[in-house]
Parts: sequence; structure tokens; C-alpha cells
Amino acid sequence: MRGTAAEPAGRRERLEDILIVDCDVHVHESPGELAPYCEMPWRRALENIADVEEYYLDIPGFSPGMTWYEARFPSGHEGRRMVHDARQMREELDAIHVDIGILFPDHLLKIALITQDEYAAALARAYNRWLLEKWCSPERKLLGCILACPQDPEDAAREIRRYAREPGMVGVYLPCAGLDPLWGNRRYDPIYEAAQEADLPVLLHSVTVVHPVFPFNLHGFETEFGRHICGHTFAIMANLVHMISTGVPERYPRLRIAVTEAGVSWVPFLMNRMDKEYLERRREIPLVKQRPSRYLKRMYFATQPVEEPEDLGDLVRLVELYDGEDRTIFASDWPHHDFDHPMKVHQAPFSNEARRKIFGENALGLFRIDAQGRRLNL
Amino acid sequence: MAGERRKHPVGRLSEFPPGTHRVVRVGRREVGIFNIRGTLYGLPNLCPHQTGPLCEGKTTTGTLIARRENGWRLEWAYEGEIVACPWHGLEYHIPTGRCLAFPEITLRRYEVVVEDGEVKVIL
Repeated sequence: MRGTAAEPAGRRERLEDILIVDCDVHVHESPGELAPYCEMPWRRALENIADVEEYYLDIPGFSPGMTWYEARFPSGHEGRRMVHDARQMREELDAIHVDIGILFPDHLLKIALITQDEYAAALARAYNRWLLEKWCSPERKLLGCILACPQDPEDAAREIRRYAREPGMVGVYLPCAGLDPLWGNRRYDPIYEAAQEADLPVLLHSVTVVHPVFPFNLHGFETEFGRHICGHTFAIMANLVHMISTGVPERYPRLRIAVTEAGVSWVPFLMNRMDKEYLERRREIPLVKQRPSRYLKRMYFATQPVEEPEDLGDLVRLVELYDGEDRTIFASDWPHHDFDHPMKVHQAPFSNEARRKIFGENALGLFRIDAQGRRLNL
Repeated sequence: MAGERRKHPVGRLSEFPPGTHRVVRVGRREVGIFNIRGTLYGLPNLCPHQTGPLCEGKTTTGTLIARRENGWRLEWAYEGEIVACPWHGLEYHIPTGRCLAFPEITLRRYEVVVEDGEVKVIL
């Protein structure tokens, strides 16, 4: 126990006085934006879809989606907020008290769905070039993650090495939606190796898709209510189980692993399920040398979409269950429809010390940066 | 006298041929006697996990391990030296009493001697 359970004595620090590192904000990369950064022949394909009508994370030939399947009632909550440039991002993050933003894509959350491996790798290269040139800026405290293309792990490792010493790049983004095989498969080893060598953390990020890989049967739900509950979180759990069982934490002991956009309430569940299976099935996974929960507890967990129990003390207790005071990191997911304003995490009765860690200090350690967003490992 | 170790006869050596094991009773305790290539080992017949009859598994085996120095490839190791609890499969290395899944767990090991063809457990 670290004294986080009860509302601590003393005045709660104000949100605007706390360093906030937001570990998941989204830039808008349209096909037309990426086209000039993409090699032929794929540039031609991007130009061809530059003007198609765009739905939320749904562009044909770019980010296959579910838009066409369901009744579309008018709504004021269309999920159409987008951030188009670094200046806009800086202004909008300032408005929610975020000091440092870690950048992820919009549409390329779905890059693993692309069936043409060469196209996917070209998209990843184009995105990385574009992100670094247009968005990454330690001065603005906007820092990028290198997109690791799962369809071409060797090329992804080259991309990591290419940007390893860029002050504006602080992590490696591992796409999870529609991924086959799961992270942890040995084909991805070059990515972990390059990330560890570059001293860059890997960050898993999923998104809801209906696709014949885990969690494949989301079509069983009639609504996004069901799909969105299960999509992100189950994808993340499956990938972490596979990474642990194939020994990624043993084989790459200096690799820092983080997950985003899955909330945190599943972490105690997964710890306990893994430990229970382990005692019976250790011989299936001999690269696991200790309780699997111990590997999980070394990873970093982003808060969004943060649990909002009736008693916010439950959130504090959940974090305690995985000894998460030093491993929980704040994320807003700005500007997406399910973003979290930091006020919600701020409301939870953490101690001032735990709150500071979760909002910023833990992320500084994860990314090896200082409070100004400057890399400490260059 | 309390605390004094005694030798408890549990059977003739011919009843414990190499490659076999069986459970004997010593006072109120049950002890698994294993003969691995001519050396006798004694372990409690009680799994610390959920009190399963650890030594009543039908066969001792090897198991799978993976080591950095071998490129993390799966290897079959400890042939004949592994007992798995028949209840939930938790594995132990008989000569050391070490639990493979949880290195912090080591079983008590009973000393087993042979005198005039008689197997005796010291406790």
C-alpha cells in the first residue's frame, strides 16, 4: 500500500499546476496529406482517393470501416473532430491543460488491415516522414511515435533506426487492430530489437474493427456499444498475453512496453488469469520465468478511456491492484469522440504524489524525456 | 528426544528400482521416494499449491525449457527428473525440489539412505 486508497489529507493540487503528459493524441493524416510523402506507385493511389468523402476512421483504400452497415441517425456527436496541424493541436491541448502530447495517427490506426504488404509499408514510411516534418516539435512539446508496419517488420526496424535519434520521436507505435499474427510472434522480433537498441518504448494501440482476426467476432454485436466495449481492450489483452508467453519481456529485458486506449480495469483481471494458467502450463511457455503478472506489472497503462465508477475511489483501488502508481500514465485520446478531459482522473482520490506520477512523471520515465519534452537519451 | 533425527525403514531397495517412484508412509507423513538412475530422493507427497498428492503422478518425465544461451529455442531437459502434481500439473525438479514455475518455491527434501539393502528415510 502506498497510501493512495483514501482521500489524502491536504489540499488537492490544481490541474493547471500539474505537469500533464498526454500519451495518446491523434493527428489527422488524410490520403491527400500523405500523398506527397509517399513513394510511387502508391502515391498515385493516395492521390486517387484524396477527395473521397471521409467518415470517421473510414476511407476506402486507406482505412476500411463499418460506416456502411448501420442506420445513421442524425446526431450532434458525429465523431468528426480532427486536428489538422501542429498549431491547432497545441492550442487544443493547452485548453485541456496538457503540457506534452504524444502523437498517434487517425486512419492509420487501421494499417494492419491493409492487405497489400508493400502498400502498408509505404504508408508507414510516408506517415513517419510527414509526422516528423509537420508535427513533431520538442518546442511545441508535441512528440511522435514511429509507426512500425506489422506487414513488413524488417522495414519497420529500418524505420526505427532511421528516426532513432530524432529529438521529435520518442516511441514506437505498434498497431493492434486487425493484426495477424499477434504481437509476440517471432516475425516481429526485428521491431523489438530495434526499439530496445534505440531506447524507445513500444506503445500498443488498437481500434474497433470487424475483421477475421482477434477479437474477430465483433459482428456478433448489433451496435457500436458492444463492439467498442470489447474491441480495444480484448485486442490489447490478447497481444500482451502473446508477447509475454513468447518471452518478449525476457528476450528484450530493456524494452519498455506501454498500452493505450484500453482503460485500466482489465489489468488485475489479466494478471490473475495469466498466473492461474501459468502454474498448470508453464512448460508450454518456458520463456516465461516467473509469474506472468510480474511482467505485466512492469508495463505502462494509459488511463483513457478511463473507468468512471460511481465511487471514483474504485479507480484508485484498481490501480493499487496492479501496483500501478508508477506504471499508470495519463492519456486523453484527443480529439476522438471518447476523449477524456484530465478533470476526471484529477477527481479520483489519488494522493497528490500519485496524481503527479500518473499525470506526468511516469510518462517522463517511459519516454526518457524531461518536463520540457527534451529527450534525455540522445 | 525432540529434534533428534531418526532413520525410518520404508522397504527393500529392490522395491524401488531405477526409474520408478512410490509413496511411503513415515509416521503421519507421506513421502515420495524416487529412484533416478540409482540415486534415491525423498519429497513430501503434498503440493504447496492446493495440497495435491504431488508424488502420486504415474510417471516422471523431462520438461521444456528455453535459455538465452541457446537462442531461446525450446529444449527437452531434466529427463526423468521432473514430477508434475497430478491435480494441476505444477512441476518440480526432484533432485533439487525446485518448482519450475515459481523459483521462490523449493520443496523440503528428505534424506534417503540404503543400509543392508534397506531403504530408510531420515527425519
